[in-house]
Amino acid sequence: MAEKLWFVIPELILFGGAVIVSVLGLSPRRVIREQLPLITCVFLAIAFIATPIVYSVERVDLATGLLPELGRYVKMSVCLIGVLLAMLSVGLIDRRLEGDLGSGRVPFDALRTSRGEYYAFFLLSLIGVMLCCSANDLIWLFLALELTSLPTYIMVAMSRGSRKAQEASVKYFFLGAMAAAVFLYGFALLYGATGTIELTAMQSIFREQRLAGDLNPVALVGLILAILGVSFKIAAAPMHFYAADVYEGAASSVTAFLGFVPKAAGMIALIALLATVGWGAEGLPQPIVTTLWMMAVLTMTLGNIGALLQRSVKRMLAYSSIAHSGYMLIGIIAGPGLGVNAVLFYLLVYGLMNTGAFGVLAGLERQGQEIETLEDLAGLRQRHPAMAWAMALCAGSLLGFPPLLGFIGKLYLFIAGVEAGQLPLVVIAAINSAISAWYYLMLVGMPILASPSPRSETIVRTPAAWPRVAALLTAIAVVVLPVFAQRLLDGAAQATEGMVDATNEQEPRGG
Amino acid sequence: MTPLLALSDPLTPVALAHFLITSGGLFVIGLVGFLTRRNMIVMFLCTELMFQAAALAMIAFGAYHLDPSGQVFVIFILTVAAAEAALALGLVVFLYRRRETLSAEAWSELHE
Repeated sequence: MAEKLWFVIPELILFGGAVIVSVLGLSPRRVIREQLPLITCVFLAIAFIATPIVYSVERVDLATGLLPELGRYVKMSVCLIGVLLAMLSVGLIDRRLEGDLGSGRVPFDALRTSRGEYYAFFLLSLIGVMLCCSANDLIWLFLALELTSLPTYIMVAMSRGSRKAQEASVKYFFLGAMAAAVFLYGFALLYGATGTIELTAMQSIFREQRLAGDLNPVALVGLILAILGVSFKIAAAPMHFYAADVYEGAASSVTAFLGFVPKAAGMIALIALLATVGWGAEGLPQPIVTTLWMMAVLTMTLGNIGALLQRSVKRMLAYSSIAHSGYMLIGIIAGPGLGVNAVLFYLLVYGLMNTGAFGVLAGLERQGQEIETLEDLAGLRQRHPAMAWAMALCAGSLLGFPPLLGFIGKLYLFIAGVEAGQLPLVVIAAINSAISAWYYLMLVGMPILASPSPRSETIVRTPAAWPRVAALLTAIAVVVLPVFAQRLLDGAAQATEGMVDATNEQEPRGG
Repeated sequence: MTPLLALSDPLTPVALAHFLITSGGLFVIGLVGFLTRRNMIVMFLCTELMFQAAALAMIAFGAYHLDPSGQVFVIFILTVAAAEAALALGLVVFLYRRRETLSAEAWSELHE
């Protein structure tokens, strides 16, 4: 038990941060309230440093979990992107209230401030993702997934004062609760079929069942229900339809959060669940492969076609987020080794690109409103060159334009798919990438090449500079990180080493 | 491991089937209700119904396998359901103050 606690030290650090931040948010002193994002980032940085220390080689060797190595890579990625996301949200919460307080129009009332709660929920949601990768039983996995989701519902509601944000929050919450019930029922059936809630024990039971013949049909139904429920978290078909509305309703920085954090949790939960079925020499059972295959095809096709039809930048990016989940499912189907490595790598890559694109939207405004349509971005280069180039680079990377980071991520996914014999799927994905070029190139072309429209003339910078700093940092990362892609991929490969040993199949490529 | 409930014999397959039919029925009623009803409180109750269906299945399977972890899981499910209820009611009250209606259709600003 004590060894297990070692691995949750990064989470405990962040939990301490959540407590401190929520208390400091009540401070009547403006200086302290303004430091909350900084304090959040400090705790994320401490957790980032603590993770490789906690995951020392000796301790990981003794660990008994299903995926003992996964945590090091995932927790470090989550902390890294968490810092960028925290930068994006500077100046968002309580903006009007802080303005009134600053001008002395209203007296300070601790009950009306919500900045502290926002950053506490922010950290709690990140803790949920981190806990997902330490999960070794269904209870833990369920609680971690819920811990990721529940704070995000509130974050959406408090992100803006507008009615749209509240509507988005209601939609997100109700569909989220329904999806949670679906995967919970799947967990119940998995438990019923195996008589254990421990993932490692479940893995060996499934292996015996498959050696003796077929998988228990109850387990199969349970797995499919669990996959469908989790597909809500990654915004994959058939649970993708909420994404566009919710992403549009929430403020841009919260949308960036929604695009990465629940998706990471869902992908890790999928990896953990599918690792129980073995991913061994026989591969996944055929019904599961069929389900995932159809999900992948539907997700990327619906995502890309949906994005083509949008004029709103946020809705376009929401559909693109759906499409990217479809690409990642290729890696999930391809299985351990190359496939899962590519998924983990792509999660980090997607987190960066997504944060950058939304960072541009969060860093600019028009008459106090967020940027909405593509016309708002037209000719951005003339007035805000840095933001225009950041948007262009992130959109190019989302498209997978070589030699940007997104290209490398997509390349590894496609290679994994081809090596696993999923050539038709990769071809469909490649066609989808070609379709997506249309709208991504608009996102590249509008800010750089188009001449300014009357709407875009009135676009100004938001008072807080940090979202723009985050956007610039990701734009630089998108260009520079391809040089270090091999090192990142080695990190991802190390994260799945235990899995490959257990299944004794493909060798991770690398070196 | 000794079970938390003093069950000397495991549940018979027939008894298990009864529990599972009930639980499956609850789940389907919840799902159908969620998809067809438009009142937000009723929609929330339907998701609760689905949660409780899963909990019932957990308990039945736990008794069938003579394994306590199903019951432990249910305690956690109840806790999470309570957290979700708090969140749902908070949201519903918040929305009602704005719109004076609980129909989900009153909220349709976000669409294509």
